[in-house]
Amino acid sequence: MSPAVEILQGTLDLLILKTLALEPMHGWGIAQRIQQVSRDILQIQQGSLYPALYRLERKKWIRAEWGASENNRRAKFYTLTKTGRQQLEREMADWKQMSTAVALILQRV
Amino acid sequence: MTNGQRWFVRKRKWEQDMNDELRFHIERQTAAHVAAGLPREEARRQARLQLGALEGLKENCREQRRGFWLESFYADVRYGLRSLRNNPGFAAVAILTLALGIGATSSVFSAVDRILFRSLPYPRADQLVSFGLTAPIERNEFMLGSNYVDWRLAPGPFQSMTSMIPGVANCDLTQQNPVRLLCARVEGNFLPTFGVQPVLGRNFSPDEDRPNAPRVAMISYGLWRSRFGGDPGVLAKTISLDGNPATIIGVLPADFEMPTLLPTDILLPEALDEAVQRRSAPGAVLRTFARLKPGISVAQSAAALQPLFAQALQGAPAEFRSEVHLSVRSLRDRQMQDARLASWILLGAVLAVLLIACTNVANLLLARASVRQRELAVRAALGATPARLLRQRLTESLLLAIFGGAGGCLLAYAFLRVFVTIAQQAIPHLGQAGLDGRAVFFTFAISCLSGILFGLAPALHRPSPEMLCGKEARATARGLLRPTLVAAQIAISLTLWTGAGLLLRSLWNLQSAPLGLEAQNVLTETISLGAYRYPAAPQQIAFFDELLARLKRLPGATAVALSDTLPPSGAMRSTIYSAMEVTGRPRPSEGTGGMVAWRAVTPQYFAALGITILRGRGFTSDDQAQDQHSIILSDSLARRLFASGDAMGKTMRFAQVGPWRTVVGVAANVKNNGLAEPSDPEFYIPWKNEDNQYFRSASLILRTSVDPRTVTDWLRSETAALDPALPVAIETMPQRVGKLSQRPRFNAVLLALFAGMGMLLAAVGIYGVVGYLVAQRTREIGVRMALGATPPSILKMVLGSVARWIAAGAIAGWIASWFASRLLQSLLFQVSARDPRPVAFAVAVLLLVAFLSAWIPARRAMRVDPLVALRYE
Repeated sequence: MSPAVEILQGTLDLLILKTLALEPMHGWGIAQRIQQVSRDILQIQQGSLYPALYRLERKKWIRAEWGASENNRRAKFYTLTKTGRQQLEREMADWKQMSTAVALILQRV
Repeated sequence: MTNGQRWFVRKRKWEQDMNDELRFHIERQTAAHVAAGLPREEARRQARLQLGALEGLKENCREQRRGFWLESFYADVRYGLRSLRNNPGFAAVAILTLALGIGATSSVFSAVDRILFRSLPYPRADQLVSFGLTAPIERNEFMLGSNYVDWRLAPGPFQSMTSMIPGVANCDLTQQNPVRLLCARVEGNFLPTFGVQPVLGRNFSPDEDRPNAPRVAMISYGLWRSRFGGDPGVLAKTISLDGNPATIIGVLPADFEMPTLLPTDILLPEALDEAVQRRSAPGAVLRTFARLKPGISVAQSAAALQPLFAQALQGAPAEFRSEVHLSVRSLRDRQMQDARLASWILLGAVLAVLLIACTNVANLLLARASVRQRELAVRAALGATPARLLRQRLTESLLLAIFGGAGGCLLAYAFLRVFVTIAQQAIPHLGQAGLDGRAVFFTFAISCLSGILFGLAPALHRPSPEMLCGKEARATARGLLRPTLVAAQIAISLTLWTGAGLLLRSLWNLQSAPLGLEAQNVLTETISLGAYRYPAAPQQIAFFDELLARLKRLPGATAVALSDTLPPSGAMRSTIYSAMEVTGRPRPSEGTGGMVAWRAVTPQYFAALGITILRGRGFTSDDQAQDQHSIILSDSLARRLFASGDAMGKTMRFAQVGPWRTVVGVAANVKNNGLAEPSDPEFYIPWKNEDNQYFRSASLILRTSVDPRTVTDWLRSETAALDPALPVAIETMPQRVGKLSQRPRFNAVLLALFAGMGMLLAAVGIYGVVGYLVAQRTREIGVRMALGATPPSILKMVLGSVARWIAAGAIAGWIASWFASRLLQSLLFQVSARDPRPVAFAVAVLLLVAFLSAWIPARRAMRVDPLVALRYE
């Protein structure tokens, strides 16, 4: 389809949390948002999105509620919880550290 | 609403929500594609494709659900149970196999654990040894008082050495409610050497261990609880032992046991008089024990004692010198004696059975796995992940293991009860053996592990879609694994059979060896008179006279006799051969010449026990007169003493004491050292009513014309009429003889049981494997038959392929049997381990069974209908 990049194992959680930090959103919306914001570079395997959402919900990092969608259909909206926000901060810090380190190595060698 | 209903409603709602959410996603994605210009149908298709396989996705979501694991486990269990129910044959065989394996192993381990691995109830028990002299006449270490008092001055390799008077003696607690107790006499440092602390009070002080010291006693925990109600005020109480006062100074711990394992109620000081011991060399016979210094081994301590031993030997009588040896053994070795080898053999046998059971389960699961390949392929195609399939298989294996384990526990309990019934007295501690939790767990774990391992092996490789069309994968390496397992089973069962055959043959020899007496219709009663009520000869003589007179009135009694001891067990009086003196002949001076047994008997002894008088006559009441000194020799003693002529009328005496006695008869040899040991020569003297010829304990022998068990009660009441408080042991002669072969019978019965089980399991294994082979080759056989092969030639082909594996197993088993029978040699009685017959017999039986269990499924191959077999394709 496009020169899309497979999402790194484990980063999907981070991307979902970050996306939900702005506003509550339903599953399809999350996938669209990630694709748009990354200018279509990141293509989410939609098959892995929902298991990830259920997993995050079980960990109580996000909360799910049924609501009306923008086209007035019944949709399940996900909201970031307080612990989810803390987790997001932690993971972002980790990610920055990690990407800096990787970048350093790539420049050096 | 019940919990289950609530759970079900919640789950349905959850499913509904998930479906709604995914449908919403697809709608939005479709709308997006339509907006981008795709036709509606194509847009919908694209949207679905992007989401991937919907059922797989849903399953992935469900896995994230709280409680999913439990739910799926529940589903697995239900599914597993259903699949077991649908294959009752497979389930029954697998569960039974596991139950047999687990049951046999746990029960034997529980029994043997008390013998081999039980920790002795002493701190640092590995330092404890039994040391001293051994001789052909006494295999357990002993020392003579005159040497011991010297040795203990410099304990050498030992931290301390201690001694006790051998055995335990009857003693009567003579207060209100008198009871017969068992008393042991030990040196003052006995308990400290063993590291035993009284739970109450204190140990003997050195002063109390001197001769003529005021009498003190320590009582056992059991006696303290039963007799004194566990009263702490028991200390300093005075009890009356055999009429003499003794002060209680301590209570022994509940788990205390004598190193000789004899039950003991009371410990008294040994009160060894050093001066007397030296003066009256060799002095008293003592049992001697010691605690090794740290870091010193048993062998090192024996080497260190050698100089003392050489010195002691100088003072010994000449005839003993060449026969006495120094011996140091760990306490455990002394306690276990020959039970040890038998225990290891049983353990080995039962592990072999477990091994067969495990291979069987493995084989069954492998066979089942190959049958289910198609089912698995379907499940995989429907979206089951490999992990999910794996878990399903695991659950099934575990279900089998749980059922097998439960059955095994029941079987183990039953087996253990059987063991105890067969051999309670013959095997130390067996009576106390309970089902050991660790053993059950251990064997359970092994069975589970083998089940899981072999259940998983085929599940690990992902079923390929081509299996969906019913084509089977070609034989892989597993094609070799299964026959190898069968060969191993054959080898192991063959070894078990050989061992069982040897032991059974030995038992047969043991039980059919002539005793020299007629045990049928003989009743015996063993009586031991207490020192308090029967302090001296007149009372004792009066008691036995009166009892004998009463019993003679019994109409069914054909002979009534009294003897101080009874054959064929080894407990009798004995002297050494070199002490026998014949008139006009010098005493033999070289060596002891071994032991000579003797008994004091009343005239009807020979008639009562059915012992033949070969020459001369038996005793008459005349021989019991004070001035008569007659003696009857056993045939073997007569031949040895009077090789060149008739013994009759010769005069002789023994131990340089007592009167010269005239030989009046020669009796047939009677077994007198148990069943397996060679018998000692023996002589008999008449039981006399005189002060120096009486015995505190004696056995009554009653030969009856009716079943002796019918007069047991009568005998008991006649004895009670004389003295109601007297403890008596009444047994028929066959019971007494049977007890002597308890240990060999235990070994033989158990090994035979295991051999039988092993063979049954192996037969099941062969049956399963051949059945599987036939099922797998059905089409090939069909083709062959279509091309003109006859049914017999098909049968030959199938059996031929199995025969190779059976033959390989038989050869391996033959070799293993060779080693196993050498291991058994010391347990055998008049059977040579080199005897090829038991092995040959075992091979024959096993081959027969193996071919039979191969033949039944192989016949199925013969009946294959080529039309049906080929239509399959």
